[in-house]
Amino acid sequence: MIKDSNVQMAMTFPPLLVVLLLALSTGPLCDAIWLNIPKTGTKCVSEEIHSNVVVLADYVVVSVEDGQTATIAVKVTSPYGNNLHHSENVTYGRFAFTTEEAGNYLACFWSDNRTRGSGEVVVNIDWKTGIAAKDWESVARKEKLQGVELELRKLEGAVEAIHENLLYLKSREAEMRSTSETTNARVAWFSIMSLGICIVVSGLQVWYLKRFFQKKKLI
Amino acid sequence: MERKWRKISGLIGLLLLNFMNNVSSLSLTITKVECVYEIVRFEGDIVSGNFVVVDHHIFWSSDHPGIDFSITSPGGDILHNLKGTSGDKFSFKAPRSGLYQFCFHNPLSTPETIALYIHIGHIPNEHNLAKNEHVDPINVKIAELREALEAVTTEQKYLKARDAVHRRTNESTKKRVIGYTVGEYILLTIASVLQVVYIRRLFSKSVGYNRI
Repeated sequence: MIKDSNVQMAMTFPPLLVVLLLALSTGPLCDAIWLNIPKTGTKCVSEEIHSNVVVLADYVVVSVEDGQTATIAVKVTSPYGNNLHHSENVTYGRFAFTTEEAGNYLACFWSDNRTRGSGEVVVNIDWKTGIAAKDWESVARKEKLQGVELELRKLEGAVEAIHENLLYLKSREAEMRSTSETTNARVAWFSIMSLGICIVVSGLQVWYLKRFFQKKKLI
Repeated sequence: MERKWRKISGLIGLLLLNFMNNVSSLSLTITKVECVYEIVRFEGDIVSGNFVVVDHHIFWSSDHPGIDFSITSPGGDILHNLKGTSGDKFSFKAPRSGLYQFCFHNPLSTPETIALYIHIGHIPNEHNLAKNEHVDPINVKIAELREALEAVTTEQKYLKARDAVHRRTNESTKKRVIGYTVGEYILLTIASVLQVVYIRRLFSKSVGYNRI
């Protein structure tokens, strides 16, 4: 199965890849997920993000075939269709942006046709949003924190992020509750109106037919 | 070359002293089988996460088989196997370090979107360091506190994904109520007009009075 061959291919590489990842990453080290890009077609990952959130992502191609690293093309689009990042024929890259509108942000990868070989390309994607994308090194330098103080500051940031998320969930729940209540009221109102329309229309029918038959002198 | 190796060893040193914060959250579209891989660096790390099928309630009929989910360890053992779900949480202690595979299988041909969140938590302990290095107990406590906060964040991601599903259901219900009701009124009016037209035609002059 394709799955197993990918895992096998990936299993022979970990030492090389850990070295590669360490050499290429410049920010705080975070592991990321690996995805298979099929030979034809696009593989897209998306996340629903609200506005004013920093997004930072790194991608590295980790599959090597015939001694040559495969290349991919990347395209990142905002929910309204604006193109935020686009590059072709690359083996690694990074993009960062601050979200302006709330919605579904989409990052699509596809394999360039120039790659030889019949296998799938494995890409390491490190996608960080919000608090995980914060540059702690510059905060540490600016406020001269180190060691335990820095760790506690990170924890404080995490708690703030949790609080923000909770407020967001609360506001969404309130919105949904108002939608539900409107729908409930509408269902009741529309059902009564439909009964009313039924009665009115049948009344009109009867009146019209009575008049018609009276005109035709059948009644 | 020398610089690269020094940079790498510096980074490895940083790795050992830093507490790894490892999260991945994204949405995937599953057509048949999709697998996501994640590297677990230390044995004994707690891997936790959740996934929610985003399109569930609107388009699935009651006999939809659901999505199958499985987690495979680097040794090939299947750690977790769920069949026919629409979303669940998972948490396990990694038996060994290496590449873990999180696979989704869609039995039907319609593509489904899944919101996935994985968190790998590491608490530094004596086993991972060299013999002459010690772990400061405060660092262990800080790591435990961080892991507790990450557990709350994981739960929040799950709630957010489920809230998104419910919101879609609600908005779809709202649109359906209006659409179907207006359609119903129009159909009712058309049906009754057609009835009247038909009865009129039955009684039209050319047919003759005594036929009915």
